[in-house]
Amino acid sequence: MLLADCGSTWTKIYDTENDTLRIIQTSEMVECNNCHFAIATGHSARSRCNLFRNELLALASGARAMVDSSSFTVVDVGGRDIKLISIENGRIGKIDWNLACGSTTGATIELLGRYYGIDFSEMEPSDEWINVTCGVFGMEKVLEFVSTGGLPSEGLARFIHGLVRNVHNFAGRPRRLYLSGGFCENSCFVGTMEKYCEVIPLGRAVLVEGLKAVQDE
Amino acid sequence: MKISNNEKVIGYFGFPSRRILGEARKRYGERLELVDLDVAVGAPDSGLLNTTTCRIIANVIDNAVYLSGRLAAVVADVGESKCDRGRHAAFLLREMGFEVMESRFPRDEFENRDLIYSTGRGPLPDRINAIMDTVVDPTDPGREAVTSCEPTHGFWGVPPNDFRILEVFPETTHIFGWTRCVEAGRPGDLEMECYVEEGLPTVFFAQSFCAKQDLAHHLAGRNNGLYVDCHRSVNHSILSKVEAFIKLS
Repeated sequence: MLLADCGSTWTKIYDTENDTLRIIQTSEMVECNNCHFAIATGHSARSRCNLFRNELLALASGARAMVDSSSFTVVDVGGRDIKLISIENGRIGKIDWNLACGSTTGATIELLGRYYGIDFSEMEPSDEWINVTCGVFGMEKVLEFVSTGGLPSEGLARFIHGLVRNVHNFAGRPRRLYLSGGFCENSCFVGTMEKYCEVIPLGRAVLVEGLKAVQDE
Repeated sequence: MKISNNEKVIGYFGFPSRRILGEARKRYGERLELVDLDVAVGAPDSGLLNTTTCRIIANVIDNAVYLSGRLAAVVADVGESKCDRGRHAAFLLREMGFEVMESRFPRDEFENRDLIYSTGRGPLPDRINAIMDTVVDPTDPGREAVTSCEPTHGFWGVPPNDFRILEVFPETTHIFGWTRCVEAGRPGDLEMECYVEEGLPTVFFAQSFCAKQDLAHHLAGRNNGLYVDCHRSVNHSILSKVEAFIKLS
């Protein structure tokens, strides 16, 4: 059985038969005529699955399965948006999902990284930050920084710092933050977030874990 | 916006004082239909406003331009019950040559009408439409018009540009914010606008680029509710966000 988290930029496909997780670009997935899943979540999943699960519900179930605590805050930072679940004494305390304005920041980082040929694994966190109102406004600031003599890697690190500040504020400034999504693998993002709070990366398969819970229902 | 024939109409936006609406009818014709310019009805984009304008204000301008010669006058709510952009829209319409009557809803004209639709049970879009109809026709519908109920959820805000967001709410959703103030006949009553039931899971909605975003965001934080803003049409993410909040709360 295939479970899938079809995000805006990346699709995570879990095969329950052989316990494997495959990650492909969503642009590749949407062009695949045979891509159909038993249970799925995400922007591109609705017409490609037998059972659709709302993204926030999947995040809540997945985080509950992975975090051994009755009170915690988890954010999923994706290409297009940021999702938040806060659990207080085992119950849902706060949920949120930033959309449209203030979003599309993850995808912008990938775009700028490719544009400037940046290796994220070698990028250092910056103490400086730029105001990332949204992906487009943030991109304009990076382009301005580079056009006035700044290094692209420093410009992007400042963009990431701006995004980190947004995420931390969005999450209600917790002391400890569980992180879900592709940014778990971005050392600059995690290192910058550690300036503000303790960060525990959960990886890219938290929503898939949430789908496993649906399978067990 | 319902327009039944090709005759002249009187447009209005926001919640003009009933006194000014009455004066407009006396001046321009008792029989003229009153049409709400706030509502999206598919008028072409006039292109006269910045793209980051609240969609409701854009509707006002687009609808007025679309109706053009059929508008005998526009009754413009330019007071605290609307917003600065409403006041500016009135100014722009006058500059374009429309007859504009400005209205400010003074506190001494505040009413205290029963909150029949706000605290009733039934599809949320229908109840919000019924509330907005009371601007023109304030006839008391009577308690029997809607069955009252204990609320399971709350909706706070103005009538959205895209009503599909309202369809995900259960019938036991009570109405708060500016829409509730309209039903009460107190459109600029900030205290009433900020009231929500303590502990009731409430969605605080505002149009993107509307000043009420600040209020919605603040109240959502204060009441542990869900803040939602939306420009033009709702999308999958917005609907999913509200659905998840309703399910999880």
